[in-house]
Amino acid sequence: MRNRSLVLCSMIAIGVALMLTGCPKKTLQPAATEVSQPRPPEATAPTPGEPTMQMESGVAGTSGTAPLSSAIEQARAAFEGGDVYFEYDSFDLTAQAKQVLAEKAAFLNTHPGIKVSVEGHCDERGTQEYNLALGERRAKAAQEYLVFLGINAQRLSTVSYGEERPVDPAGNEEAWAKNRRAHFVITQG
Amino acid sequence: MKRYRMFILVAVVLAPCMLRAQQVHIDVEASEFRKMRVAMPAYAGPGDLTGQLWTVCARDFAITGLFEVIAPQGYVNPGPLGEIQPGSLKDWTLIGADYVVAATVSRQGQTVLFRVQMIEISTGNVIERTTYTSGLQTMERAVHAFMNHMLKEKFALAPLFSSKIACIKKVKGAKQLHVMWCDGTGGTTIKGGGSLVLNPAWSPDGKRIALVTYYRNNPDLYVFDTVSFRLNLLAGLKGINITPAFDPGGTRLAVTQSSDGNPEIYLMNLDGSGRTRLTNSWATDTSPSFSPDGRSVVFCSSRAGNPHIFLLDLATRKVTRLTYEGKYNTEPVFSPRGDLVAFSHLAGDGKYRIGLVRPDGSKFRVLPGSGLSDEAPAFSPDGRLIAFAAANGNIYVTDLLGMAAVPVTTGGGFSEPAWSPFLK
Repeated sequence: MRNRSLVLCSMIAIGVALMLTGCPKKTLQPAATEVSQPRPPEATAPTPGEPTMQMESGVAGTSGTAPLSSAIEQARAAFEGGDVYFEYDSFDLTAQAKQVLAEKAAFLNTHPGIKVSVEGHCDERGTQEYNLALGERRAKAAQEYLVFLGINAQRLSTVSYGEERPVDPAGNEEAWAKNRRAHFVITQG
Repeated sequence: MKRYRMFILVAVVLAPCMLRAQQVHIDVEASEFRKMRVAMPAYAGPGDLTGQLWTVCARDFAITGLFEVIAPQGYVNPGPLGEIQPGSLKDWTLIGADYVVAATVSRQGQTVLFRVQMIEISTGNVIERTTYTSGLQTMERAVHAFMNHMLKEKFALAPLFSSKIACIKKVKGAKQLHVMWCDGTGGTTIKGGGSLVLNPAWSPDGKRIALVTYYRNNPDLYVFDTVSFRLNLLAGLKGINITPAFDPGGTRLAVTQSSDGNPEIYLMNLDGSGRTRLTNSWATDTSPSFSPDGRSVVFCSSRAGNPHIFLLDLATRKVTRLTYEGKYNTEPVFSPRGDLVAFSHLAGDGKYRIGLVRPDGSKFRVLPGSGLSDEAPAFSPDGRLIAFAAANGNIYVTDLLGMAAVPVTTGGGFSEPAWSPFLK
């Protein structure tokens, strides 16, 4: 309930902002070296095929957490904390990966309101462009196995970060193994 | 002029065999051809200006791939020298110089005057004796004007220093678009578009840069207008929308998308219409780049097991494999001359090097590069040079023989260079 009102509030806020600014397109500004933190989306006029900012804030709004019992919180933390790991330059699911995914499926079955973003990541040894594609295949492989285990595909989105978001930047075998992963983020519910 | 053209011809013909030797031991002196040696005594004028301009000019000579600047330590007359006296040419003959460049720098208000003189030692001919001016904040433009004029008048070459390099710069954990002149001067980091911007690609008119941002928490394809600074979403399908490449006409883009299940290459108009699928494979297909005649596309595919470079004929849809060496060849780019494809090649020592191959799959070779680990090649608009990103996070420029890779950035954090066309 609180989530819904959050969404509603942010939608109204963005709507008002849109009316006030009336900025037709996003713009980029040159800057010397100063870089801002990820900024809230700027106003963008809806154009065909281009999702509006309301949609985006809707997603953001739903990630706010409602009061939950600690047991549920722990289960959620375990779900988001446990990654699925891959071999070098591979998106094949190992036996261990399948076991972790079976646990993810069990959690999703008992929490039917939850939607998840499956992130695909790579170690930095490959090249950047190829890793973006490889990360996508890792996320897809994990998503497809969850669907195979009976989870509705509508609950699972994927996003590849390639080599852009390592968990361990150490640059050794141990770190690389941790970075080649599918990571799970609860986006709704 | 004629002599020089012959030099180039010889260089191109000899290049493959020379390089085989160079991979073991780079010995420029032992070869039949060598870079032209330039002596650059210190400039005359106020010290805060002369040092900066000298440094830019020395780097620019090196970037052209044609010149080697002789280290000032050995000069008979290290300067400052505003002008070369006719009787002093032997000073430069002694150190083996082919050319000597002297300059006087002065300032009038916010304007910098760069009076430069370049003399061919063997003939005593004055190649340049011109005063170039620029604003104080854009001093490098005076040097660029000199270099462009000299390249055109003496060597009939295109104005290299009218081109820019777009790349990605990491600042405080965010990756943003960074645009600079091809020698690294005049750089601007462009804020906005979210905290993760990747895969910049210039339009053939140099007015737009296609890029990928995670603005909507997904790798989506946008086109950035360098004039209006507008950023328009072009492709935001589920999955990846990455590695854009403009076609030579500037009306269409090739892009990698995964909406049909796995990463495939698609062709679309700049308004997103007319979307056509170009590849059809179980494997990962990515990183398209057009041939200059627009008839074919090189791309990277794992259809042979490991990632390799392939050529797609757009008319027949016939696919030809170009690389067999090594186990990891990615990020191909077509030369604007159409005679070469460059790519990131994983060498036997575990480091990446810039690999080169002909579009028929012949003459595979590897550039020595920075000696670190080199990725993401981008051809200069005349196809004579390649920019790449080294493992120290800096952008380098090398000629196609790889005799000297010149860093054009310092401080690190740079990746994914994309070289603009010649800008007006």
